[in-house]
Amino acid sequence: MRIAIAGKGGTGKTTIAGTLARVLAQSGRRVLAIDADTTPNLAVTLGVPAAAAQEMMSLPRNMMERQTQEDGTTKTVFVADSEKVIADYSAAGPDGIRLLVMGKVDHGGAG
Amino acid sequence: MNKGDDDRDIVVDMEAGLEHMSRGTGRHLSRFVATIEPYYRSMEIAKRVAALATELGIGEVVAVANKVRDAGDRKAIGDFCKAHSLKLAGEIPFDPTLLEAERAGKTPIDYDDDGPAVRAIRKLAETLGAQ
Repeated sequence: MRIAIAGKGGTGKTTIAGTLARVLAQSGRRVLAIDADTTPNLAVTLGVPAAAAQEMMSLPRNMMERQTQEDGTTKTVFVADSEKVIADYSAAGPDGIRLLVMGKVDHGGAG
Repeated sequence: MNKGDDDRDIVVDMEAGLEHMSRGTGRHLSRFVATIEPYYRSMEIAKRVAALATELGIGEVVAVANKVRDAGDRKAIGDFCKAHSLKLAGEIPFDPTLLEAERAGKTPIDYDDDGPAVRAIRKLAETLGAQ
């Protein structure tokens, strides 16, 4: 399954996302968890060791593109090969989970 | 995302607003889960998020009730979902062991893998997987 979880800020949403990822991984699934919150803290709920979370590299700018929409607003679009991104930029969590943090992407001056 | 994704589950923790999502991103998701807590502001945000997810072309938008304490909470969320044609995919109870886990510096599932919330999330995974 490929699901996104959203809702009002607070710990509930991240607790559900992190625990859901763990439950799926423990049932034998390969799981990629993606933290797309601007205040990323999914690592904690997943149980990714603090050191591994700290060492995570910011996603390179050329992987994300700021594109201008017809209505004049800009959106960030994923353009890189996902397998390579996972291999290069994800952190290892419990039960074989891989974690990517999108919130670390620096939008300053992009586009 | 492309090759290799078919045998991998992806769980994305979004921020409340979906402003940084594009149609392109949404296309890769099969389901969007809006968490709803039994109070007005949370429900209003869930409504907005669900509408935006639909607009982004994400396959299906469902709601999950969170921090449900009693029948009153259950009814409030149930009524809200009915009023806004949102499918309720699961209910997670208010669970004090989540706070205990945090105090102990552990993840919920590592602290008590049979706690009320963890049990409910396991059930939610089955529901989402079966649909």
